[in-house]
Amino acid sequence: MTGDRNNNEYLPRPARITAVRRETFDVKTFSLEFVDRADAFSYKQGQFAEISVLGQGEVPISITSSPSRKGPMEFTIRAAGRVTSAMHDLGPGDALYLRGPYGNAFPFETLKGRNLYFVAGGIGLAPLRSLINMVLDSIEDFGDVKILYGAKNPEELCFRGELEEWKAIPGVEVYLTVDRASPGWTGPVGLVTALWDAAALSPENAVAILCGPPIMIKFAAAGLSGRGFGDEAIVMTLERYMKCGVGKCGHCNIGGSFVCTDGPVFDYAQVKRMPEKEGVF
Amino acid sequence: MSTYLLRKTDVRPLLKEASAVWDIFAPLREGVGDVNFKALPKDRLAEALENLVLDDEPTLLSPKTIFFPQNETMFAFGSGGIREQVESSPKLLFGVTSCDLSGLLFSDGFFAKDFPDRYYLSRSENRLIIVKGCLKPPRQGSCFCASAGTGPFAQRGFDLQLVDLGGEYLVEVGSGKGESFILAHSAFFASGDGRERAAEAVKRDATATLGPGVDFDKALRLMVTGDFEKNFARIGERCVYCGACLYVCPTCTCFNVVDRADGGSGSRMRTWDGCVFEGYTREASGHNPRPSKTARTARRYEHKLKYDPLVAGRSGCVGCGRCLDSCPVGIGMSKFIREVADGTEEM
Repeated sequence: MTGDRNNNEYLPRPARITAVRRETFDVKTFSLEFVDRADAFSYKQGQFAEISVLGQGEVPISITSSPSRKGPMEFTIRAAGRVTSAMHDLGPGDALYLRGPYGNAFPFETLKGRNLYFVAGGIGLAPLRSLINMVLDSIEDFGDVKILYGAKNPEELCFRGELEEWKAIPGVEVYLTVDRASPGWTGPVGLVTALWDAAALSPENAVAILCGPPIMIKFAAAGLSGRGFGDEAIVMTLERYMKCGVGKCGHCNIGGSFVCTDGPVFDYAQVKRMPEKEGVF
Repeated sequence: MSTYLLRKTDVRPLLKEASAVWDIFAPLREGVGDVNFKALPKDRLAEALENLVLDDEPTLLSPKTIFFPQNETMFAFGSGGIREQVESSPKLLFGVTSCDLSGLLFSDGFFAKDFPDRYYLSRSENRLIIVKGCLKPPRQGSCFCASAGTGPFAQRGFDLQLVDLGGEYLVEVGSGKGESFILAHSAFFASGDGRERAAEAVKRDATATLGPGVDFDKALRLMVTGDFEKNFARIGERCVYCGACLYVCPTCTCFNVVDRADGGSGSRMRTWDGCVFEGYTREASGHNPRPSKTARTARRYEHKLKYDPLVAGRSGCVGCGRCLDSCPVGIGMSKFIREVADGTEEM
């Protein structure tokens, strides 16, 4: 039977790809719109959606576009598994299915008046980009905005055009680093945590927002803590293998929390209360 | 609470009459001898009723399988888009044990909260549960309902509850739905007035057969304050990670989701999954935040005994004993609870 879609959270809605932008050799940014405008949803910075390639499966992907901007929803996706690889074979006009949005959100109102440090590694810049662009759209409400971004090598930096645009905005500083330089790279080489001094990192009236590979988040959070950032001033978005996105399938359960519904955004104080043996990072 | 009497010889005729309205699920002996909750086939009812088990034999799987089957289709897809697959037939569950009722009520709460689970709720929205309390423990040495506060007779949550008085059952009514069922089949029911004291004695005797049990409440308290890493490491080394304990558990609800497709059409399915498996938390990158046996073992016990009480306000273990009975290497909740409460080494 065909049921009422509104009371079945697991049913995705038909969508189509309107544009694909290549970020790196294995990362692309997809613009999506719903086939039926009635299915469209509003979302908050840091939330994610479940994207289906029917026949391949479904994956949770953070929404990288900003709720402060009109325009299509964007998802930046690495070809890593079955579904994401299938997505990389698709182009404008191709069909996908979508449901969401899910999860909590990055803080916004409480960040106003504060200095913000965005610390990202690799594709981890994608969820932060939603909040970054939201902040930049009312930059006068915020203190200094510093974006510290690292990748394995220069070719794996995402959003390169946008990084240049951000740099040009008064009050915004962008610091890039790579693990391994390639010819033509004149910037620093090292982990993103090696950018603290260059960025004149200071905990005063500041909040740091992190996303990246688990090992990066782990060391960046500990490093910021060592530099005097309070646990509530270190905010991160966690990633976890998940299926349903709505707190039922169990995969992302850590202690008594679900990353999908209680997160994916947590502050360091919450993360420290999670059972370490369950592998938070 | 009103009570009625139902003669044991009337159980099969009653179920036959009720099958006009309900899909009936009851403990049936299957070909290989196992007892499980199975739907009575309407076209072979008399034959199936021959296999109805009315004594306290253990069912291999819990009745959760009726509302949360091992495999189920969530929707079909093809050229016509997505077609939701839901099922909501009226289901009468006959002969559910008190501990299994607790398991169902626990799962009801889990699937209903936050984002309601359409599949589970739709399967269970039109159900009638007839509990039959145990006179003796079905899994002697493994089950511990009295310690867990889930049996051998239920206090609430049932539609009807049967208390075995020998040749007949005293029928306790727990809901309006249960009362309506009795009115609809009134020829089978006589007044239970005057037999309640006999039923209370049966309940007391049944509880007395359960033996010393385990100190469940002490274990739940210690799970919050104590350190059981050594237990988890030892049990984790012994475990063979077959997942049997998860599949038979009345409150384990984890699932995986997969698409099955042939050309442009197919279906999205969900299948049981379990937290003890190594691949359960492995990400597409290969990174696995919880690979160790110790951590996966801890997850299972702490979820049921530490986090469920914190989050859901009740233990996720109902004391049915199926995990120990199904484990090929002798691991089970009753033993773990003894280890926690008494500081012993049981496994």
